[in-house]
Amino acid sequence: MDFYSFVEGPLLWIAFLTFIIGTILRIVFFVTKVRKMDKPMVQYFSWKYVLATLGRWILPINKDVAKNPVFMPLVYIFHVCLIVVPIFLASHVSLWEESRFEWSWPALPDAWADWMTLILMAISIFFFLRRLISADIRLLSTFSDYLLIIVTALPFVTGYFLAHGTLDSVAFLGDNLSLIHMLSGELMLILIPLTRLSHAFLFFFSRAATGIEFGRRGYSM
Amino acid sequence: MTESINPQTIMDFLKPRMGARLRTWVDICTHCGMCSDTCHFYLANDRDPKMIPAYKVRFLKDLLKKKGRVDRAYLDQVYETVYHECNACRRCTLYCPFGIDIAYLISILRGLLTSQGIVPGGLARAVANYKEFGNQMAVPDEEWVETLEWCEEETAEELVGLKIPIDKKGAKIMYTVNAREPKFYPQDIMEVAKIFHVAGEDWTFPSGKGWDDTNLAMFIGDVETSRAVVENTFKRAEELGVKQIAVTE
Repeated sequence: MDFYSFVEGPLLWIAFLTFIIGTILRIVFFVTKVRKMDKPMVQYFSWKYVLATLGRWILPINKDVAKNPVFMPLVYIFHVCLIVVPIFLASHVSLWEESRFEWSWPALPDAWADWMTLILMAISIFFFLRRLISADIRLLSTFSDYLLIIVTALPFVTGYFLAHGTLDSVAFLGDNLSLIHMLSGELMLILIPLTRLSHAFLFFFSRAATGIEFGRRGYSM
Repeated sequence: MTESINPQTIMDFLKPRMGARLRTWVDICTHCGMCSDTCHFYLANDRDPKMIPAYKVRFLKDLLKKKGRVDRAYLDQVYETVYHECNACRRCTLYCPFGIDIAYLISILRGLLTSQGIVPGGLARAVANYKEFGNQMAVPDEEWVETLEWCEEETAEELVGLKIPIDKKGAKIMYTVNAREPKFYPQDIMEVAKIFHVAGEDWTFPSGKGWDDTNLAMFIGDVETSRAVVENTFKRAEELGVKQIAVTE
């Protein structure tokens, strides 16, 4: 098996399984730990506060949006593109159709996917520069913060060039771009449960936990 | 020269407290900076980046990473931050997309320092008083009851028939005070007695431990003492069978 077939076969399985099992394990770990060590969260559990706080933070109707009218909308747009493009990209959907699962779902028009990818890349650059330029965020940032922005943007950058063939004439990249694209996507999937990218799913649990307490106390959620 | 700290004692303190929320919060903060200008310490210090709430709790992650291997100078730095740069108001949590409770993390760090014997002097004395006397000013229970008795005598001269009920079973309200009141400001007790008297309320003071409604142990992260203080108050309320507990302003 050459490296290419390894990356598009076994490694893809490894990446997806790490992502899925890692996510499930972290959620199971969270819930069992809550039951053992954060008992008030169980005692005062309330769907009302959980749904209220999650609704407010999944939709841009929270305090941060009012306070940061430029940054927060960018954050929301970034996350929408991040989730929608890889799942609904036409060429990804056709790969699922060709796969052993033969799954199929409606795809995004390519022009939309293109724009959303460009927007995501632009916002990634903004996030990166913001970390570098703002004294506040620079002090807070660790090496991994910069690295994770690159890890997140890389599948989109490589995917964009792959779809448009812009780099086909460049020696190494032209030959290996789809390999690099797959590797970068797999790297991100693997890193989601292992790094602070885990906020992708732990956000729901963390925000809900605080919502339960703050809601009950009558604070703003 | 720096005093050596036993890393084991630090980990022994942290491990049983690393619940799901704490662990998650240490892991997932993405350093987005949304908390920065929600903090009054940040705003009052000319937007000093060192005052960003997310930055102040960096010690917790650091201590876990170093497995408690730090020196006394390090803990002094933690002390400076958790006591002088945060008063645990929780405003940052309202603005944290993940709802990270910075004040809770700060209080864990304060508790850690307490377990190492690093506590602000005034609070240390108050907490020792809670343990011995059940109130922060070391007022013995007899002295408390005596104070209430002479307060009643003096106030009754002004408002005839005024009573300061002590341990009245089945009263509607059990009133509790700040221990500074019997110690330094008995006039506050007299004023409140007048209000209750004129309003015709059915109220009482408890004579035993639990009449002090302050809880300074909370501020040094001493959860055991903090709990004991609250439990005292509730025990008295249950014994007396009151409907409500009122706390002084």
